[in-house]
Amino acid sequence: MHNEIASKLNGQVSGSNAVANIATVGDSSVMVEAGKILEVCKALKAEGFNVLQAVTGTDYADRIELTYILADFTNNRELLLKTKLGRGDGSGNNKDTLPKIDSVVSVWNAANFQERETYDMIGVNFVGHPDLRRILTPDDWQGYPLRRDYVVQEKYLDMVVNPAHKINSADHMFGKKLKEEIGDPKKVSASWKSNDADESEDAKDGE
Amino acid sequence: MSGQHAQEEKIRLGDMEVLKSDLLTLNMGPQHPATHGVLRVEIKTDSEIVVEATPHLGYLHRCFEKHAENLDYRGVIPFVDRMDYLAAMSMEWGYCLAVEKMLGTEVPKRAEYIRILIAELQRIASHLVYFGTYGIDMGAFTTFLYCFQDREEILRLFEELSGARMLYNYVWIGGVWNDINDDQLRRVKTFVDRFEGELKKYHQLVGENKIFIERTANVGVLTKEQCFDYGATGPVLRGSGVEWDLRKNRPYGMYEKFDFNVVTGKGEKGTVGDCWDRYYVRIFEMFESIKIIRQVLEGIEEGPVMGKVSKIIKVPAGEIYMRTECPRGELGYHLISDGGKTPYRLKVKSSCFTHTSMLPIIAPGQMVADLVASIGSIDIVLGEVDR
Repeated sequence: MHNEIASKLNGQVSGSNAVANIATVGDSSVMVEAGKILEVCKALKAEGFNVLQAVTGTDYADRIELTYILADFTNNRELLLKTKLGRGDGSGNNKDTLPKIDSVVSVWNAANFQERETYDMIGVNFVGHPDLRRILTPDDWQGYPLRRDYVVQEKYLDMVVNPAHKINSADHMFGKKLKEEIGDPKKVSASWKSNDADESEDAKDGE
Repeated sequence: MSGQHAQEEKIRLGDMEVLKSDLLTLNMGPQHPATHGVLRVEIKTDSEIVVEATPHLGYLHRCFEKHAENLDYRGVIPFVDRMDYLAAMSMEWGYCLAVEKMLGTEVPKRAEYIRILIAELQRIASHLVYFGTYGIDMGAFTTFLYCFQDREEILRLFEELSGARMLYNYVWIGGVWNDINDDQLRRVKTFVDRFEGELKKYHQLVGENKIFIERTANVGVLTKEQCFDYGATGPVLRGSGVEWDLRKNRPYGMYEKFDFNVVTGKGEKGTVGDCWDRYYVRIFEMFESIKIIRQVLEGIEEGPVMGKVSKIIKVPAGEIYMRTECPRGELGYHLISDGGKTPYRLKVKSSCFTHTSMLPIIAPGQMVADLVASIGSIDIVLGEVDR
């Protein structure tokens, strides 16, 4: 199915550069060019994918990968549509330094909240979105939490974000102590012992 | 539009000449009994008519997805519970299915039966909370007491199985944590036999009640097209007359072996897709769940409840999107693995989040009291909306 869709997309949207990634484990996906996302989505909607389930981003060292999860409720299909973007600068709260991509709200209204969440969590600027505000964090929050290099800001509106007296240090100390005294804390309780044949292999896997 | 008094401009309303008034901005929530949690809806009203409604989320945001990146695959399960805390078993099952599919783990037959049993019991428990609290929204307090009495029996069983009343950590990767015994199965049977009759009574008392129908029929109508456009799923989609249920259309677990019907809204009391239809779908889904539970009780066999899973789980590199039919709609897990001991990225597609985004299209033109009915009828849990 993915190969078919990729070749169809290449025919309908020039420059979309659709490539099918056929996976051996899990789900396959179709990768397209970020600049053509709006045309690709329109073509796919005409193809029968009538529902946008989610828009989600993943942060890698050199790129941000957006995944559009589409579903076709008539023919019972689903498709992971992927695209790559640069990372931009996601340390502050400035939309201009973020990677840009066209919004698909005009195709499915479901994209409205989904794109807002992706903007809030990953830091992608959806151009043409009617109401691109942060959705889960406060409007003046700094940084994008689901980026890998995200550091929690120390102060928010003169409030300390992670005050020392609210961190349960007793738990941390207990774990640390266990590790020092016993080496592998999982060996403490008998419930972790199993009669599996692959135990020796797992032990190698472990610490 | 704050505070500035316009000069006495007059407009015609029917055959009367009245003073033109500004819109009034009201904040419903974040602490409000009608929003079922910490949701803030900013509404602009013209006298009692809602002109615009904007939901503001994030009051319960715990960034679950960030936590998941630092936990091993088994450690994610207790966190998953805390999303939809009224249907924690269903949340766990979806996550475990995603990981099992990636690992290629075989789940023992008895475990599959137990999973279906608890998922359907959970569906009943969750719909009972909806039914009870919706009664309160509509001014009928008694239903709440009856529903929680019945829900209590299910919670008591779950407590015996898992040790917890709400956040279970019971469904594990490869099976379930603990076996269910014959006495418990017998009690499930007694419960469903009694409950079926009770539910019929509740429906007659509430669903067929004139006041209830007046409050819900033709209120908060969502058409089929709007549902697809906004990506609605579950009872909201079925309430709008679409026959779509993942248990039927994309069977997971062992649902393809079970005989049950998909309930859809037919517009019996008003328009297709109104609040009454969504109520109807949920009530009759409980009867279907009872049907499934009876089949489980007949078919369940002796055997192990845990498959073979290595002690330290390493999921092969790749990605998967697994969706399951939870009480409130489709829950999707998009799991990306790089071959390590922790998920590289775990995105949760929450149906409640999607349904909240539909408030701006339901609200305009409604009375404020009808907005309360609409919010109640889409049945959101804020733990899942904000994650």
